[in-house]
Parts: sequence; structure tokens; C-alpha cells
Amino acid sequence: MLRLADWLMIQCPVMNVTGSQTLRLTWHNLAKHYGARPVWQHLEGELSHGEVLVVSGPNGAGKSTLLRLLCGLETADAGSIIYEWRGQRWTPTQMRPFIGVVAPDIAVYRELTALENVHFFATARGQSVSSEQLHTQLAQVGLLERAHDQVAAFSSGMVLRLKYAVALIQQPTVLLLDEPTAMFDAAGRTLVEHIITAQRQRGITVIATNDARELAWGDLLLKAGSA
Amino acid sequence: MRHFFRAALAVARKDWQIELRTRYALNAMLLFAVVTAVLVSFRLGPLGLSRDRQAATTLAVLLWVAIFFAALNGLSRTFVREEEMRTAALLRLTTPPLAVYLGKLLINLLLLVALELLVTLLFVALMNARIAQPGLFALTLSLGGLGLAVATTIIAALVAKADGKSALFTVLAFPLLLPLLIVAVETTEVALAGSGWAQAAPGLRLLAAYTLAELAASLLLFERTWES
Amino acid sequence: MIRQLATPAKISTGLLLSFVAAAMFLWVPAHEGLGNVGRIVIVHVPTGWLTCVAFLVSALYSLLYLRRGRLSDDANAVAATELGLLFSLLSTVTGAIFAKVVWGTFWNWDPRETAIAVLMLIYAAYFALRTSLVPGVRQRRLSAIYALLASVSVPFLIFVIPRVTDSTLHPNCAILNTPNCAGLALTADGRIQGQVDDFRLKLLDVQESDTLLTATIEVRDPASGTLTTLQPSFDLVSGQPKAIERVPDTLREVQIKRVSGTASARTIEVALANVGNIGLLTDQRTLITFLVSLLGFTALFIWVWRLRALLLGLQAHVQGWNA
Repeated sequence: MLRLADWLMIQCPVMNVTGSQTLRLTWHNLAKHYGARPVWQHLEGELSHGEVLVVSGPNGAGKSTLLRLLCGLETADAGSIIYEWRGQRWTPTQMRPFIGVVAPDIAVYRELTALENVHFFATARGQSVSSEQLHTQLAQVGLLERAHDQVAAFSSGMVLRLKYAVALIQQPTVLLLDEPTAMFDAAGRTLVEHIITAQRQRGITVIATNDARELAWGDLLLKAGSA
Repeated sequence: MRHFFRAALAVARKDWQIELRTRYALNAMLLFAVVTAVLVSFRLGPLGLSRDRQAATTLAVLLWVAIFFAALNGLSRTFVREEEMRTAALLRLTTPPLAVYLGKLLINLLLLVALELLVTLLFVALMNARIAQPGLFALTLSLGGLGLAVATTIIAALVAKADGKSALFTVLAFPLLLPLLIVAVETTEVALAGSGWAQAAPGLRLLAAYTLAELAASLLLFERTWES
Repeated sequence: MIRQLATPAKISTGLLLSFVAAAMFLWVPAHEGLGNVGRIVIVHVPTGWLTCVAFLVSALYSLLYLRRGRLSDDANAVAATELGLLFSLLSTVTGAIFAKVVWGTFWNWDPRETAIAVLMLIYAAYFALRTSLVPGVRQRRLSAIYALLASVSVPFLIFVIPRVTDSTLHPNCAILNTPNCAGLALTADGRIQGQVDDFRLKLLDVQESDTLLTATIEVRDPASGTLTTLQPSFDLVSGQPKAIERVPDTLREVQIKRVSGTASARTIEVALANVGNIGLLTDQRTLITFLVSLLGFTALFIWVWRLRALLLGLQAHVQGWNA
């Protein structure tokens, strides 16, 4: 019933696996339905280390759904998603500890302060972070002055900055961004651009957006909803 | 494994911090307990019951009625809030499922300890309850509370995914908890009346067995619930 | 093979149940002690049995659904739960009618009444959970999880329930009149007083000849508090109870089930059984009708359950929930 080994694999990310550090993501024959309505079918594609994929398409075309599939928050009705990394094949669920996600429907705790949020999500991943690391991370997204304020008092742009801090604190190999700049001013947009550039060193980025300026950030473009 | 337990503790600590700042669960539970105890005491306590030969039975039943319904007022909060505030997704992405379960179990246990202490104090103060065997009484409340926490935590995880959450929680929890409640009431009665450890032993064993069985089932089923 | 057998099976189910319906009122004689209300047993017991079967089936298919994720497993579990709810209602209503006539109360928190009440609550909760979820994978998974959690909790009732109440009005000896019926051993030289259910029994005297043992037993009726002295006897040669004495104004009888020890230090096992229960099914025609009813209702259950599961499965397919 319970395969302990599998279970422990998910519970405790294996930090000392050797093998190629370069990452390859492939999805094959992917299909997803909501009720009887197919979102898309026979979706194919792949993404290699350092690349940035931009997914665009009209509302309801399944941009966010693809991102949710990539991190295992939802399961596909057919097809497979495989990460090849460190000489192993990983499912999205197994890959979770190495994925950072920023999305409008994924919230942080309003009752906690910015610092407590970042600290909690790092610890919950099983990471031990120093207070210095936490502060550096908050400084990167421009929230250092507000580190000890409760999120409830934040503007929506600041909440989005905090989500970036939470996603980046564990130096994710895979970065998934849904509407990455929806609440941002020009400074925020520059910040995201920097983050994406830095991510090219660490692994891959998938962005879901319809903003014309952001389409240029990608090496590859997937137009959803046209099929 | 060290990471795992650290994650579980982090979940419990985070919920405790949030609980201290919002007091959603604590207020609901503790106020319910106070209202119940006061209402019961108006008619029955403090002298009314001590003249009654059946005082231990009545007190044990009322004590568990107060604990059970107060607990059902608050124990689903931590899970329901994750879904309502849409923080569940990030928790699922970052935290191993069982660490979430253990963390939530821990916070529910803490809440229950606070509740049971308050209810006991209220019953001693307002109803003039005399506890003949305090050790047995404490053990019964601890075991009963543990079983209550184990069963309600997994049901809270179920309920958090459904509509009409607060009404549903009681409906789902009651039939599952009935064996526990019956035995807990009976053993508490023994402790109040002071009929001795030998009388209470089968009840205590049943409480422990029930708790273990529900814990095993919860550990096996939680991941499915949480990832649904 | 199974398909070929399906139609004959359905027809024979119809025949069996028609026979039961007719025989129940026309062929089965009225019970000696209970009169016409005794006939209800023929429906009451099979429906009660199927309530428990439905619970097990639903738990089993819930487990299968979680393991295999097949739509049909979920449909089977739901169909079993629906039937469980239906049969638990039938069993409760028939039982309550019987209880009102024979025991004077519709409901008594008798152990079996408690058990079926809990099963009914669980069935109801299952549907409450199901209707509050959007049809889909999540709905099916969560209801399966609830069914499994319930199946972990219910067995504890078996241990817990006998502790709730000392007495059961339900027969434990209806079908097989064994010495294991509620009773106790009274020893002439030691334990001369004991309690069966709420009746207190006291052994006053034992008279013994070569063939016959006669005990003088004082019985205290818990309802009225009156004391009665009865003299049940036991045939030492055949090893069977001889005189069976009724406790006045109750539906209980005292009989000696077994005698052990030597003549100087006898241990007498006394049973205090419900009048109506002993031999409820001893009449041959009643027993046959009862067994046919058990078979017929079980067949009906399987048939309706398969049909309903098929329908639910189709419904889920048509509505495109097969995500």
C-alpha cells in the first residue's frame, strides 16, 4: 500500500545525487479536459537548461493549467511530463522541491510578516537558511525595509515581490511564472527581467503571459488555444 | 528525516503564530466551552449535582459534550483557512504531505490541550466537580484528546475541500467519533467516581487502539486527501 | 457464462421474493408467543444483514477506487452506499414496529439499534460530503477516503457497544438455541447470586433426585422490582431442560441450560431468554420462508446494486467526468 522508499523520496529531496547538472524538460502527448471541454490535446514540447519558454494565448486557453501540470498541482488526463536531471527522471511531483512558482492564485500568509513567510517556506522545504540569506533575498526583491510588517498591510505589488522572494529563496532549478508582472511598475518589471536572466544559469523558466513586452523574454513561444 | 520533522514543526509553529494573531479557532472554541459550562452550571451546579448519586455520570457526559462540540467549532479552522486564503497550493508545493498532516495534528493537539484544561477548570469551579482519581482523569483526557485530534485533523482536511464546510465537519466527524466518545465518557466517569484503575483499563486500551487505528488510516490516506 | 445465467437469476429472484411475500402472510403460522408481529422477522433480519454487507462492499470498492482510480469502482461504492441507506431504513422501521408491539418502545438504544443508527449516520454523512463537492475526481476520491475512515472506526463499535448498555433485547439465540444465550452459572456452595441483563437472580435451593434436578431461584424484575420464586428443572438423564419457568408479567423465561459438578457442589448454568426469541424460527415453515427471504433479498441486493452501479458509471461517462 505505502511504498516507503517512494514516499521518502518525496519527503526528503535527495541533495547528494550526482550526474549531469543540466536539466531537460519534456512533455509528450499531453491532454487536459475541464469537464467535457478539452483544454488541449496532443501537446508536445521540450525545454533545455538555460532556456525560457513563454506560453501565451487567450483567456481559458490553459496557460495556467500547463504551469500547474508542470509542478504537479494538477494531473494531466493523458500524456507525460518528465524532468531529466542529475542522471535521473523526475515526475513533476518529485521535482517539486526544486521548483519555484509565482502565480496570482497562489497566496502567501497574510497574517505573517514578510520575513516569517520566507523563513517558513524555506524551512517547510527542509532547507536550513541563515538569517543573512533571508535578508539578502528580501533585499533582492526590495522588501528589506518591510521585512517585519504583516503581509495584510502590503500593496498587491509588494505581495507579488514577496512571492518572488519565497520562490527564489531555495534557488530553484525550475521557475514557473504566471502573469509575472501583473501588479508591477517599471521597476518591478526590471526586477523580473533580472530574475529571469539569472535563472538561465540555474535551469529553466516557463512564463505564462499575454503581455507583448514579455513575449520577447522567451527563447521559445508556445501559443496555447490555437490548436 | 531531520528535514521532515523540521518541516512538520515549522507548519505547527506557523499555524500557532497565525492563531495567536487571529484567534479564530481559540475564540470560537473557548467561548463555546464557557457558554456550555455556564449554562449547565445554572441549573445543575454547584450543589445540585453533589446531592445526586449519578453525579459522576452526568458530569462525565457534560464534560465530553462541552469538549466535543467546542472542538468541532475550532479544529477545522487551520485547514479551511489554507484553502480559503489560497495558501494551500504553496504549502503543497513546498511541504511534504505528511509533514503538513503532522504539523496540523500538533496544532490541533495544542488547541485541544488548552480547551480541555479550560473545560476541566470550569467544571471544577462552577459544578463543584470532585475528581477522585486525578491521574486517571488526566490520562483519559489526554488519550481521548489525542484520538479526537487524530480523527478531526483528517476530517478537517476532507472538509476543507468541500462547500458548506462548518456544517459538514460535525456531520462527518460525529459518527466516526462515536466509539471514542462513548469510551471516553465511561472512563472519565470511572475517574470522577474513583472506581479504580482496574475498572478503567479496558476503556483506556480501547482509546489507545482507536487512536492508533485512526492514526494509521490518516497517515495512509492523508496524501490522497491533500493532493485532491 | 455469467451473462447467460443473468436472466434465470433475475427471474428466480422475482420468484423467491414473491414466494416470501405470499408465504409470510399465508403459509407461515402466527408465532405462539408473539402472534402476527412475529412475521416481521422474515423481512427485518435480511434487511439488517444487507445493511452490513452494503457497508463492507462500499468500503471495499472505495479502497479499489483509491488504488485503481476506475470510474466503475466509484460507481459500485456509491451504489452500495445508496442501497445500504435504503436497507438500513427498512430494517430500522420493521424493527421499530416489532419493538413497539413486543417490548413497548420504538427505540431503546439497544446495541444493534445503536450500530444501525451509526451506520445510517455514516451513510448520510457520505452523501452530505458527496453533494457538497463538484462532480469529478476530487469528489470521488474524498468520498472514498471518508468511506475508508468510517470502516476503520465502525469495528470499534463491536467492542464499545456491549459496554454501553447491559441489556440487549435482541435475540442471540433466535436461530440456534444454544447454551450460549445470556445466562450465568450459579454455584450452590459459592456464587449464589448473579445478574443477567438487569434481572437479578438468586439461587435459593437445589433439590436433586436420580433423574431430575430442580432449582429454586429468586428473580428480581428490574422494571417493577417485584421478587418471584421460580422452580426450573433439568433432566439429568437426557441433559435437557425440563421445566421452563416464565417470569410473570415479562417476556423472559428462566431455564437451566447445563449442570456440572457433583451432587454436593453443583454449578447450574441458568439462561434468561426472551420468550419470543426462543424458537422464533423453530417452526419449520417459518424457518424455510426466512431462509428463502435471506437468499431472495441478497439476490435482489446484488441485482439492484449492479444495475445502479452500471447506471452511475454511464452517467459519469456521459457527463464527461472521466477526468
